[in-house]
Amino acid sequence: MKMMFQIGLLFGVCLVGQAISVFLPVSFPGSVLSMIILFLLLFSGVVKVDHIKQKADFLLKNMAFFFIPAGVGILLSFDLIKNNILPLLIIVVVTTILTFGATALTVQGVIALQDRLARSKLKKGEPHE
Amino acid sequence: MSEVYASPFFGIFLSILTFETGVWINKKTKSAVANPLLIAVILCILILKIFRIPLESYYVGGDLISVFLGPATAVLALSVYSQFALLKKYFLPILLGTVVGSAVSMSSAYLLCKVFHLDAALTASMLTKSVTTPFAIAISQNIGGVPSVAVAAVVMTGILGAVFAPLLIRLFHVKNPIAAGVAIGTSSHAVGTSKAIELGETEGAMSGIAIGMAGIVTVIISIFL
Repeated sequence: MKMMFQIGLLFGVCLVGQAISVFLPVSFPGSVLSMIILFLLLFSGVVKVDHIKQKADFLLKNMAFFFIPAGVGILLSFDLIKNNILPLLIIVVVTTILTFGATALTVQGVIALQDRLARSKLKKGEPHE
Repeated sequence: MSEVYASPFFGIFLSILTFETGVWINKKTKSAVANPLLIAVILCILILKIFRIPLESYYVGGDLISVFLGPATAVLALSVYSQFALLKKYFLPILLGTVVGSAVSMSSAYLLCKVFHLDAALTASMLTKSVTTPFAIAISQNIGGVPSVAVAAVVMTGILGAVFAPLLIRLFHVKNPIAAGVAIGTSSHAVGTSKAIELGETEGAMSGIAIGMAGIVTVIISIFL
């Protein structure tokens, strides 16, 4: 599919996501709404993977690049952060490790539990509540 | 000279130059700590400081790059779509994982802020550290935080997640790529996801799903604060 078409389609979806986010009663980011809209368009078959493949691959492969200006923005709150730099760093490090561990272990635990339930059902030879 | 800095080409060129330098260093050292985003941000800040270039000048071009964060988040839908069978099959574990993870993130941040006697505004800015930037700005404003601090906390968390994701996977003995992906997305949002994409397609898609889910869960929890 032509590049201009792919870019146009993607920006169009983002525009609709932004528009919906403006009219929602709760604050919800437009970019996440755009992701949901694009998913629904792909799921319903209105948009085919080919329609956005090259542009999407470019964005996904270079995603980190687009965060550079946000990262440099740390300078904006530099004074506030500077005075509390040590506690803030400790909090960021500790909570990130805790969050990662809690999430990973929950996902693995629930999957293991589901597998065990499925197997015990299979053993008894009959499905039950 | 200021006319040169104030041109949009300056911010864009500096970002590309520092990022490609980061990618090059990353390839040479093959070290996770040599994260291209981390290197690019540090180099940009150093260059702006050394040459006394105002941040506003950098943002003339930098803002144009930030515009692409929207489409970059939106195209995660493509990863989710290509991994839809997995999402359907493991919906419950993924949902519970993001709920538990988001709750742990917010409560541990809250408790640690209390331990360090940080004020209410700073605490409110730290609660949203694990969700993606647009969510963090919206939520932290609602609960009395400082948006620029919230964004800084989000970026620091994201870079940390991206740098240490492979290490954390080993530390917690995460064997399942679905669990790894959900954990990366829930703990370190889109920046972490950029690393998850490198680890594998399943990891990337699950991390992408977790960004949205963790964001929504965090919004819901913040309503009760």
